[in-house]
Amino acid sequence: MHAVKRFFRHENAGLLFALPACIYMLAFVGYPIISNLVLSLQDVTVANLSRGEKHFIGLANYVKLFHDSVFMKSLSNTLIFTISCLVCQFLIGFVLALFLNKNFSFARTVRGLLMIPWMIPMTVTALIFKLLFATDIGVVNYILRSLHLISQNIDWLTSSKTAMLVVIIANVWIGIPFNTILLSTGLTTIPQELYESASIDGASTWQSFWRITLPLLRSTIESVLVLGFIYTFKVYDLVYVMTSGGPVNSTHLLSTYSYKQSFELFNYSMGSAVANVLLLILLMVGIIYLRITMQGEED
Amino acid sequence: MGEEKKITGRKNVILCILSVLVLCFLLFPLFWTLITSLKTEKEIFQNPPTFYPHVLNTQSYAAQVETGDFNMFRSFANSFLISIGSMLIAVVLAVPASYAIAKYRFRGRKIMLLFFLVTQMLPVSVLLTPMFIMFKGMHVYNTWWSAILADTTIGIPFSILILKNYFASIPKELEEAAYIDGCTRFGAFLRILVPVAKPGIIVCAVFSFLYAWGDLAYGMTFILDQQKRPITAGIFNFMGQYGTKWSYLSAFAIVTIIPVALIFIFMQKYIIAGMTNGAVKG
Repeated sequence: MHAVKRFFRHENAGLLFALPACIYMLAFVGYPIISNLVLSLQDVTVANLSRGEKHFIGLANYVKLFHDSVFMKSLSNTLIFTISCLVCQFLIGFVLALFLNKNFSFARTVRGLLMIPWMIPMTVTALIFKLLFATDIGVVNYILRSLHLISQNIDWLTSSKTAMLVVIIANVWIGIPFNTILLSTGLTTIPQELYESASIDGASTWQSFWRITLPLLRSTIESVLVLGFIYTFKVYDLVYVMTSGGPVNSTHLLSTYSYKQSFELFNYSMGSAVANVLLLILLMVGIIYLRITMQGEED
Repeated sequence: MGEEKKITGRKNVILCILSVLVLCFLLFPLFWTLITSLKTEKEIFQNPPTFYPHVLNTQSYAAQVETGDFNMFRSFANSFLISIGSMLIAVVLAVPASYAIAKYRFRGRKIMLLFFLVTQMLPVSVLLTPMFIMFKGMHVYNTWWSAILADTTIGIPFSILILKNYFASIPKELEEAAYIDGCTRFGAFLRILVPVAKPGIIVCAVFSFLYAWGDLAYGMTFILDQQKRPITAGIFNFMGQYGTKWSYLSAFAIVTIIPVALIFIFMQKYIIAGMTNGAVKG
């Protein structure tokens, strides 16, 4: 008893404050991660879950995955989706940040209102974009027809050629505010004097941008891209509600395919294996994020 | 650091107009949903479409109050309960933990911090299947608790990482003064530090609420009874059954956005703080 008391004196007393949250997260996140790993090495389906049979089959699920054309399609879809979203939302967000960091009367208010898309539940965003891109009553088709860009309505979400594009547009809409706010916060940390002295020295706006803005914004850009990747790579609700992975698997992502395996086909172990592949790729990029965040964090 | 000189005159007017145009373009999807929810089903299918409701139709909302046919308001209440529950647990657990990580150098602190950072990145897909099996075993499957417990796992790491910075910025002297006045560690934490960190705590509460409010995967997977499901799952269900009933669907969407809009109006400052502090180390 005495030894326990002594252990928790001074600095280790902190453990007592941190323990409840830690136990919670170990129980509801730590344990599931491990059991997901174990699950992916077994052959648990709805048929044998209730009987409690769990056979270890090693890496067989993973081997099966790499011969599964839908899985390979989901993998490449996820990469295409993530990279396209990342590039578009970053570029648009950056332009908006530069624009809204100019000191004009509406700048602050507009920047605030721009955040709304980011806060809306993804299920609702999915519904909104389904409405906009509906074939018959969709306003997008109407506008394109009025501008004589198309002569016939496009089956945006029911054609395997265009569905991915719409899903990307919807996700970029969510991502723009995030990029704008972070980049614009980064921009305010650049001392204004630098631009003033550069312009006295005869630098053009373009030169100032390349020589001052970009280099000084480097760490912000890094965080924005890495976090953007993490958020985008695991998107699930948006795509599941908009297309459920269809038509003909053209919008299946690793996240939606994992869900399908587990909760539509009831191959729990296969679903787990897909999720682990997703996690592995996420962690590879996540390491960059961990390194940035843990910097200067002494023991 | 010097603020950029205020732009005035004609240039100011041009930039203002331009910014309003950008805003209108980006928020058009929301505007369109709102007016669709106020149109009659007939007008929605009209060609060319109308850009404001010619016949104002509030039936899509009123039908809910009168008959509650589609459980819109019940699932709203469910979502509210789940989000508040999740928010409370997240805040109660995260506040002391973040204080400890900011102020104490105990054994395992760095690993703990790393653990919270990793959990913040996890995709729902990894947790869904094992949680599903676990909740079945715990007999919380198909209750509000399953969604509350699962949603809280998003709120806790986020809150800890945000609050850690708030607590770290509070000067040590404040705490020491409390000890001299005879406070215990816990007393000083509760009476001195928590009130000072209040803005940070509000940020965490708001985000924990929003995360839970926006969740679909957990609510849909762990709760089967439509009467207990959150509003996001309600929308998803409704879409499956009445995919083209756009007047009801858009009304559903607007009702779901209401709390988000209220939070935005009253808590905008905290949202910006959360977005920036959560991502870029302060």
